Amino acid sequence: MKRCLLPFLLLVLFTGLGASGYLPEPQRFVLDNGMTVLLHLDSELPLVSFRLLIPGAGSAYEKADGLADLTAQLLLKGTRTRSANQVAEELDRLGVTMRCGSQEEFLEMSGSSLSENFSRLLALAADCLIGPAFTPEEFAKERQRRIDAIGEIKDEPSQAVRQYFRKFYFGSHPLGSLKSGTETSLQRMTVDEVRDFHRRNLRPERAILAVCGRIAPKELEKLLSTTIGRWPRSEKPLPETTLPPFPVVAGRTCLLIDKPDASQAYFILGAPGLPYGSASSPQAEVMNTLFGGRFTSWLNSELRIKRGLTYGARSSLQSWRQGGIFTVSSYTKNDKIGEMLAITFELLAKGRKQGFSVLEVESARNYILGQFPPSLESLGSKTRAYSDLLFYGLGFRYYDDLMAKVAQAQLPAVNASASALFPLENYVLVVVGKADDIRKQLEPFGRFAEKKIGAAGF
Amino acid sequence: MKRSFHCMLVLFLLAVGALGAAEFSRENIAVRQLDNGLKVLLYEDHDIPNIAYYTFFRVGSRNERPGLTGVSHFIEHMMFNGSAAFGPGEFDRIMEFNGGANNAYTSEDLTAYTDWFPGNALEKMVQMEADRMRGLQFDPKVLESERGVIASERRLGDNDNDSLLEETVRATAIMAHPYHWGVIGWMSDILSWKRDEIAAYFRTYYAPNNAVIIVSGDFASERMMELIRKYYAGIPRGTPPPAVSTIEPPQIGPRRVQLRKAAQIPSFLAVYHVPAVTDPDFPALSLLETILLRGESSRLYRRLVSEAQLAINVSGGVGQTIDPFLFYIQAKPRPGTDLDLLEKTMEEELNKVITGGVTPLEMEKAINAARTHFYSPLQTIAGKADMLGEAELVYGGFENLFTLMDRFAAVTPAQVQEACRRYLNPDNKTVGTLVPDGGAR
Repeated sequence: MKRCLLPFLLLVLFTGLGASGYLPEPQRFVLDNGMTVLLHLDSELPLVSFRLLIPGAGSAYEKADGLADLTAQLLLKGTRTRSANQVAEELDRLGVTMRCGSQEEFLEMSGSSLSENFSRLLALAADCLIGPAFTPEEFAKERQRRIDAIGEIKDEPSQAVRQYFRKFYFGSHPLGSLKSGTETSLQRMTVDEVRDFHRRNLRPERAILAVCGRIAPKELEKLLSTTIGRWPRSEKPLPETTLPPFPVVAGRTCLLIDKPDASQAYFILGAPGLPYGSASSPQAEVMNTLFGGRFTSWLNSELRIKRGLTYGARSSLQSWRQGGIFTVSSYTKNDKIGEMLAITFELLAKGRKQGFSVLEVESARNYILGQFPPSLESLGSKTRAYSDLLFYGLGFRYYDDLMAKVAQAQLPAVNASASALFPLENYVLVVVGKADDIRKQLEPFGRFAEKKIGAAGF
Repeated sequence: MKRSFHCMLVLFLLAVGALGAAEFSRENIAVRQLDNGLKVLLYEDHDIPNIAYYTFFRVGSRNERPGLTGVSHFIEHMMFNGSAAFGPGEFDRIMEFNGGANNAYTSEDLTAYTDWFPGNALEKMVQMEADRMRGLQFDPKVLESERGVIASERRLGDNDNDSLLEETVRATAIMAHPYHWGVIGWMSDILSWKRDEIAAYFRTYYAPNNAVIIVSGDFASERMMELIRKYYAGIPRGTPPPAVSTIEPPQIGPRRVQLRKAAQIPSFLAVYHVPAVTDPDFPALSLLETILLRGESSRLYRRLVSEAQLAINVSGGVGQTIDPFLFYIQAKPRPGTDLDLLEKTMEEELNKVITGGVTPLEMEKAINAARTHFYSPLQTIAGKADMLGEAELVYGGFENLFTLMDRFAAVTPAQVQEACRRYLNPDNKTVGTLVPDGGAR
C-alpha cells in the first residue's frame, strides 16, 4: 500500500509546493471529445471526489420550468444496459452519493467515493451520462414525484418565498425558470422533450471534469479513456449560452403570497447585483459582509441581536456570468413584519448616506481573509472551485487575487459599493405570510399584487 | 539502490510534511486534563492556517425538567450575550474582527461551541472562551431580546409540518424520560423561564469538570496548553450535576396520534424505541438504517417511493444518544395517499427483514456507506473536532471513534435481522400522521 502511495505523494510535493496559495494549480488535459479534465492529487484520505460541469445544460436554457433538472435526475433512472434499480443498487453498493442536478448556467454531476471504488463510480457516471434510457415509466414517476413535491415546498414558507421571489424578479427572463418546475410546466412535459434536451444540450465539447483526491494520474487517464472519454462529440452546433440582458428594476415591484396558516411572515428584497468575477467583487464582498453577511452584520444586529425579532437576517450576492442580484431576507411573527421592513430600509438608507466606518471595513477584511481557507479544505469544495473557475474563465489564481484585493479594500470603495447596490426606490419585494394580518403593515413599502399559496405555479 | 531508496524516503517524509497532518489515529490525539477537571483533546493538522476550537458541555435537553424545557438551548444563545470581561455581543465582534467565525448547537445530550479562526486569533479566542465558561451576565434586557429570538426559532418549527409532527410523535412515544420534549422546548416554557433559574442551571452544567475542549488544526500543542492553563486553570470545579435517573418504561402496545391542520400534503412518521448508542445492538441498528432507508435501492425507498408510489421520499434512522431513544421512519406521502395503506406497506417490508433477513449484498452496501460517511468529515479540521467531541461525550470516550468501523464490520446479517425483530415490531411502535384539514380521514 505504502509503495503505491509513494509516487502520488511525490507528485503532490512537486505540484503542491510551487503552486499558488489557496488553490494548487491542477494538472490539466483535454480529451478527444473536447472535455477538459482538471486533476488535483490529495492523498490524506482514501477518498476521491469529482464534479462534472456541462455548460449550456442548465435551467436557463430549458424550454419549460424544470426540464433541465428533471433531465439531470432521470440520468440516474436507467441506462441502455442498467435498469433504474440496478443504477441505484450499484451506487448504494459502492456506498457513494452521486448527485445530478441543474444550476442556471450548467448541469452538474458530482460524487465522492472511497478510492478503491472510484473506477466503478466513474464508469457508472459515464453510463448514465452517455446512454440514459429515459423510459416513459421512469419519466412519469419522476415527473409525478416532482409535482407532489411542489406541495411540500408550498407547505414551508421559508422555501416557498425563494421560489416566488425568483419567478417574480426574473419573470420571463431565462433565470426565472425554476429548477423544481411548476405544477403546469411539469404536467405538460413529455419524455421526448427530455430526450431532446439531453441530445442538444448535454454535450462533451465544453464540459469540465474536476477530480480531487487519492488517485494516480495514469490510473485516471486510463479510466477516462474507457468511460467519459467515450462520450462522442455531436455534429450539431453547440447551444447558444448568451442570456438576454438582466431585467431592469424600476420602481417598487411587490408581491404578497397569502398563506393563511403561517404564524411568521417571510420576505426577500432584491435588486441588481454583480456578475461573477466582477472587478467590483472584492469591495462588494466587504460591503455584504458588513451589511448582512455575518453574525454581527448591521442587519442581524438590528433585527436579531438588539430587537429579538427573528432567528436570522442576512444579505447576499448571487452572481452569474452576465449579471447578479443583491438580496436581503428575514422573517418574523406576523404582527412585526412592518417594523422589520421599516428597519431594513432605514439600514439601507444609512448605508447609502453615511456608509461604514474604517474600523468596520478592517474587521470585514479580516473576517473574509480568516474564513476563506476552510472554504477550500474538502475535496468536494476543491472540485467545485476548479470547475467554477474554469467555467467562468477566471484562472486558478483568481482566489489569490480576490483575497489580495479584499485585503486592500478601502472605505471609499466599500461605501461606493453600498451606494451602488443598496435598493431604496427601485426594488422587488416578495412576502409570504397570512395576508389578513400583514396586508396593512406592508402598505408603506409599495403596492402589492396578491396571490394565494394554493394557486398553481409560483 | 539503497541510496536512491533513502532519497525517496526523505522525499516521502517531506511530502507528508507538506500535506501537513499526522495520521488521524488514536496515538496522534494528545489528551490533557487540568486540576479543575477540564479535559482537553488536541490534534495538530497543518494543512490550512486555521484552527477549529470546539468546547463541548455535557448538557442538553435530557438534563432539563418541565418548566425549564429548552433552557439548555437558550443558554447556548446567551453564551454570546455577555460574560465577566466581555459585554453583550463583544464575543462575536472581537472574534470576527480577528478573522474568526463560530456557531453553536444543542442536542438532547450535549451543547457544543464551535470556533474557526486563523492562528493569530488564538490567544484572544482562548481568553474569551474561558471567560464565558467562568460566568455569564444574563443582563435582563438582553435576556428578553434573546427570548424573542428563541420564540422566532420555535415558530420556524411550528410553520414546518414535519417538525410539528415529530414533536408530537416523540412526546407520545416517550412518556417519562426527558427526551419527551424537543431541544427547542415548549413555547410556554420559553416565554416564562426566570432569570434566576437560568443562571442556576448555567452554574450547574457549565463547570470545567463538565466540559471537554477539542482543538484541531494549525497550532503547537505545548503552546496551546500554556494558553489553556493560563485562562482556564482559575475556574473552580463545580459540584457534579445530578445524574439523569429516569428510565423510560417499556412500551407494551402500539400508539397512534393524529394532527389536523392546513397543509398541501400529509405527513407520516413511525418511531420505535431503541437502545443507547453504546449498546451492543447499536451497530446492527445503524446498518439496518442504511438497508431500510439510505439510497434509492434501500428497501423502504424502493417499495414506498419507486414501486407503490405512495410517498415522495423516505428518511429517518436510529438516534445516536446517551440514553435509549428512537428509530425514525418518516415518509412524505403523496397527496391523497391512503395513510393506512402506506403504514401497512411499510410493515410488510419490515416483516420481510424479520422473516427473511438481509442479503450479503445489503451488508456490503451498508458497511461501504458507513465507511464513506466515516471518512467524509475527516477531510476538514472542523469535521475531526466534531467527531472527536461526539465520540467523547456520546459514545463513551473519543477512543471509541477509532474502533467504530471495526464494530460495524463485525456485524453479521443475523444480528441485523434480530435487531429488526427485537425493535421494529408493532408493539414497540408509535405512528403519527398529519392530515390536511378537511381531508378524507
